[in-house]
Amino acid sequence: MENFRVLEIQKRVYENNDLEAEKLRGELKKNRTFLLNLMSSPGSGKTTSVVSTINILKEDMKIGVIEADIDSDVDAITVSKSGAKVMQLHSGGMCHLDAGMAREGLDIINSEDLDFVILENIGNLICPASYDLGAVKNAMILSVPEGDDKPLKYPKMFSKVDVLLISKIDTVSVFNFDFEAVKERVTKLNPTIKVFAISAKTGEGMQEWCSWLKEEIIKWNTK
Amino acid sequence: MHELGIVIEVVKQVEQFASEHNVKTIDTLVLEIGELSSVIPRYIEEVYPMAVEKSMLKNTKLKIEITPGLGKCDDCGFGYNIAQNNRTCPKCGSHDWTIISGKEFNIKEIYTA
Ligand SMILES: Nc1nc2c(ncn2[C@@H]2O[C@H](COP(=O)(O)OP(=O)(O)OP(=O)(O)O)[C@@H](O)[C@H]2O)c(=O)[nH]1
Ligand SMILES: [Mg+2]
Ligand SMILES: [Zn+2]
Repeated sequence: MENFRVLEIQKRVYENNDLEAEKLRGELKKNRTFLLNLMSSPGSGKTTSVVSTINILKEDMKIGVIEADIDSDVDAITVSKSGAKVMQLHSGGMCHLDAGMAREGLDIINSEDLDFVILENIGNLICPASYDLGAVKNAMILSVPEGDDKPLKYPKMFSKVDVLLISKIDTVSVFNFDFEAVKERVTKLNPTIKVFAISAKTGEGMQEWCSWLKEEIIKWNTK
Repeated sequence: MHELGIVIEVVKQVEQFASEHNVKTIDTLVLEIGELSSVIPRYIEEVYPMAVEKSMLKNTKLKIEITPGLGKCDDCGFGYNIAQNNRTCPKCGSHDWTIISGKEFNIKEIYTA
């Protein structure tokens, strides 16, 4: 048996990211920019809901969007038509973003001139839940077609976010979706979570969601 | 791809530690992974050789220490292993608990020759 010297490191693997995220949040506060991290599985309606949200809020504030994708820029093109400032971030094959990448996106989009930046995270309910990106609020979308059992299957994401948007509620007649069951499951994981039911297609629920958001943005952006 | 990204980050942090402490070769790297963390040890082991390929950890062995997912029942106060009891209190059947340990994902230590 060889003799080894043991050097203790005792460092959380996420520590670097968490420190960077905290620093970023401080800078956002100083620059009066509200960053929203929007997460969900692929196709749950992030881009469509982002566009509807911009359309409601754009008269009141300067908005930017960071579109993160593994590849492609179709979402960035769609969102740019709303008039918001958009940049596309490619994660280079990675399934999540970290605070360093969020900073890169914010720098490119010149976020210090903006009041509100939405970061459309990569479609994935698992990995992004582990990374603090420096956002002021974290939101996720669960669309009606995905089913009401998702809080049971992906508890980590549901327990980490500040807001849950239940989207595509115009399709509820086609899919069995129990809103009360979702609320109960989610509140158990996360007692302070806000839940909004929306349809980006019919506009239902969008005003409630946007007035809550606007209030939070004003709170953050005024000293 | 998730685990690979994580292990590459781990390797970076260990290399930094090594350069700060003047360590030239590392025999073993010890990671501490909680049963209730989102990290799956088997996947970490799988991607480890790829992640260390071009680093100073190329010949470093990986050792993973699992910390148990312990919790305390919110209803009756009983302490039990959450991960092994199907997230249900074996004493009173409650599903509400507070985690005591098992969420960690740490770079614990290195063995150097
Ligand atoms: N019926 C209905 N369809 C919707 C709604 N919102 C989005 N969709 C549709 O759902 C599909 C996916 O929407 P996207 O907005 O591209 O979803 P996404 O989450 O951005 O997708 P990725 O970026 O690829 O992960 C599109 O066909 C949208 O038209 C809605 O409120 N109601
Ligand atoms: Mg999209
Ligand atoms: Zn109990």
